[in-house]
Amino acid sequence: MNWGFLFGLLLPLLPVVSFSQEPVFKEYGTLFRIGDQPEWAAKDLSDGHWKSDLTYVADGEVFWSRTKIDILKAPGSLRPYGLRLEVYAEYEVFWDGVLIGKNGNPGQEADLPAEGELWTTFSIPIHLTNEGEHVMAMRLSNYYFPDHVGIYDLKIDNYNDLVTQRLIQNSYMHVFAGAFLVASIYFLFLFLGNKKEYPMLIFSISCFLFFGLTMTHFVRTTLPIHYSLHVIRLEVITSLMFGISFLIPLYLSIQFPYPKRKFFLGIYTGILVYFFITKQHFFDFTILSMVICLWVFALGIAVFGIYKKAKGAVLVLLTLFLCLFIGYSVSFNVSLFTGFSLILLNMMYLLSLRIKEQRLAYENSLVQSTRLRLELLKKNIRPHFLMNTLTSLIDWIEEAPKKGVLFIEALAKEFDLLNQIENQTLIPIEQEIALCRAHLDIMGYRKEICYVWEEEGIDPGQKIPPGILHTLLENGITHSMPLEGNRIQFKLIFESTKAYKCYTFLTFASPIPQDANTRKEGTGLRYIKARLTESYQGQWELTSGQVNHGWKSTIKIMPRR
Amino acid sequence: MNILIVEDESRIAKRIERMTRAIFANGLQSLKHINTLQEAMTFIRNNELDLVLLDLNLNGSSGFDLLTSAVSESFHTIIISAYRDQAITAFEYGVLDFVPKPFNQERLAQAFNRIYTKEKTKNNTIKFLAVKKRGGIQLVPIADLVYIKGAGAYSELFLEDGTKELHDKSLEKLEQLLSYSFERIHKSYLVKMSEVTHISVASGSKYMAELRNGLRIPIGRTKYKDLKAKWI
Repeated sequence: MNWGFLFGLLLPLLPVVSFSQEPVFKEYGTLFRIGDQPEWAAKDLSDGHWKSDLTYVADGEVFWSRTKIDILKAPGSLRPYGLRLEVYAEYEVFWDGVLIGKNGNPGQEADLPAEGELWTTFSIPIHLTNEGEHVMAMRLSNYYFPDHVGIYDLKIDNYNDLVTQRLIQNSYMHVFAGAFLVASIYFLFLFLGNKKEYPMLIFSISCFLFFGLTMTHFVRTTLPIHYSLHVIRLEVITSLMFGISFLIPLYLSIQFPYPKRKFFLGIYTGILVYFFITKQHFFDFTILSMVICLWVFALGIAVFGIYKKAKGAVLVLLTLFLCLFIGYSVSFNVSLFTGFSLILLNMMYLLSLRIKEQRLAYENSLVQSTRLRLELLKKNIRPHFLMNTLTSLIDWIEEAPKKGVLFIEALAKEFDLLNQIENQTLIPIEQEIALCRAHLDIMGYRKEICYVWEEEGIDPGQKIPPGILHTLLENGITHSMPLEGNRIQFKLIFESTKAYKCYTFLTFASPIPQDANTRKEGTGLRYIKARLTESYQGQWELTSGQVNHGWKSTIKIMPRR
Repeated sequence: MNILIVEDESRIAKRIERMTRAIFANGLQSLKHINTLQEAMTFIRNNELDLVLLDLNLNGSSGFDLLTSAVSESFHTIIISAYRDQAITAFEYGVLDFVPKPFNQERLAQAFNRIYTKEKTKNNTIKFLAVKKRGGIQLVPIADLVYIKGAGAYSELFLEDGTKELHDKSLEKLEQLLSYSFERIHKSYLVKMSEVTHISVASGSKYMAELRNGLRIPIGRTKYKDLKAKWI
């Protein structure tokens, strides 16, 4: 793994951690009181009897909150402070008794259209933000969300910064999300180009879900949403998380296969569904549970991958530990996005590894096919065949010219057949048999042995890689001595069942003394195996061995899975 | 002349046989054709031969094992093969000639001429002499050889390290194979000329070749003139 790649992995960390400053305020506990009196906005009010905890306000009744805030540092001139709030209510905000902002219509929510935004930012007049103690009072009603009383987020900072900060952050996050959208579309197209590549589809969907997750999480400045929609947003986020948590281990399971995959994936999915359904209202807990499940399962797969020496598994393991480290060192949201983006990048890296492997395999197969084609062509120009044939031929012409002409015709026939088949990977069985017969004619003239060819059960519709029976025949001729009557007999038998097709090639001859022991896998058998692999991948069997009557070879071809 | 043909192609064997008979005519005592390696090995061990005509690829297996044992024997070996690229190796092992297939009678006769007329081989590529030892055949590098002494039907090879090996070939036959760097300075001695430091005259006008290791080898009276003309 190179450092550039590692840097690429860490890059997404930058935008999320780049906003942190010294706070200019200190917030104290918020006090609540149900009721509605304008003087409750005042800075100096004895609120000792107000409740520090209010869990439920029914029917959109108006209530007030008061929060003591210390301004630690007065703002510079022309740079007023702003107040940013995340409150599930419609409300008016008072700063030291002065109304500084309004979000919706507290107390009239049932009658008026929904107007309260979830995230608001108000400017605080400069003269009210001297160093020292201040009071923020709010007049609220939360008709749509009666059990979410309180201020969920409060921040005071330079107003312009507050307004632009989220914008900047979101622009980063949108670029970030956009990258995953592009990756998602790209890999979707790659998948559509080759529909067997499920890892690409899974990766594409994961990227799209992650894009959705980012967009939903950082929806704040893109889309103003009413506070009542908050739950829906969280539900969307949790669902996206569920999808991602399911897809990542599924992807890793395909890349690093392990035994009983369906069983483990089933259990894992069950656990995810359990968390997803049962703890619906504690979203952070649901998300955390799913993330932990994902992490543990992914770790298991990666460790097994390393055990099996799968390429890329070590990187996955390192990434998972990096995620763990990030999870401990930064906030949950930050670590969530960083972690996921790291894992997704990792998945992309694995994909690139697989694509490279496939490319190499493809190139290799091209080379292999060319090599086999050459080998087939070479059969008849190898010195042993060519020079011996020519020597015999000269002799026939000199001694018995008429026979010599027949010899030349047999030779022409074999060359012609070989020319017809040389660039094919499968040829009709009859063509292969014709090639064998032509070869026997030639060898008959050379060796002056009576070669007999027989066949049984041949199905003319069948196809076979070129030259494989021819090779068996050559081996049979080379390694045999004639029987009584100076004859050698060959027999080809074809059987077809549902489970396989089988060619049995028999040589009836006497063996060459002490030849059988030294006979090892020669180029001939290697050629046959390579041809069978080229056309049938792993779905074939070849046996070859000595038997009573001579030699027996079988080629079994199983149907494709 | 007793000749063995080792060839697994029947038509070609017949061709060799026919041509051999034509070339040697009455000079031929026996001619035998064998088409497997094993039989050939057995036949060579049990029969007196003058010449073996050998195909290097018999029934799909390499004939180099047979070649090694053939060249260690007393007879000359001529290779008749389809593989021209094996010629160099064959000469390194000490064959008399290499006849590539396809061949005609003229080419075969040319090969036979090398024994028949005691013509010396022009090929200076021989690298080893195969020596029969108990338990196998040892290849003695020509580079280690200093001189050879004729001992009746066989020869004694004297090596640089002072050891001596026996070879089944006669001094005449070895001379044919080694002629490029060895000289027959005496009817019983074949000497590597690069080992000779100078020629001295001993009493009785006997000429002696002094070798680098201090050994002195007599030079034949008839050989001296030729030697002087060629080397001095």
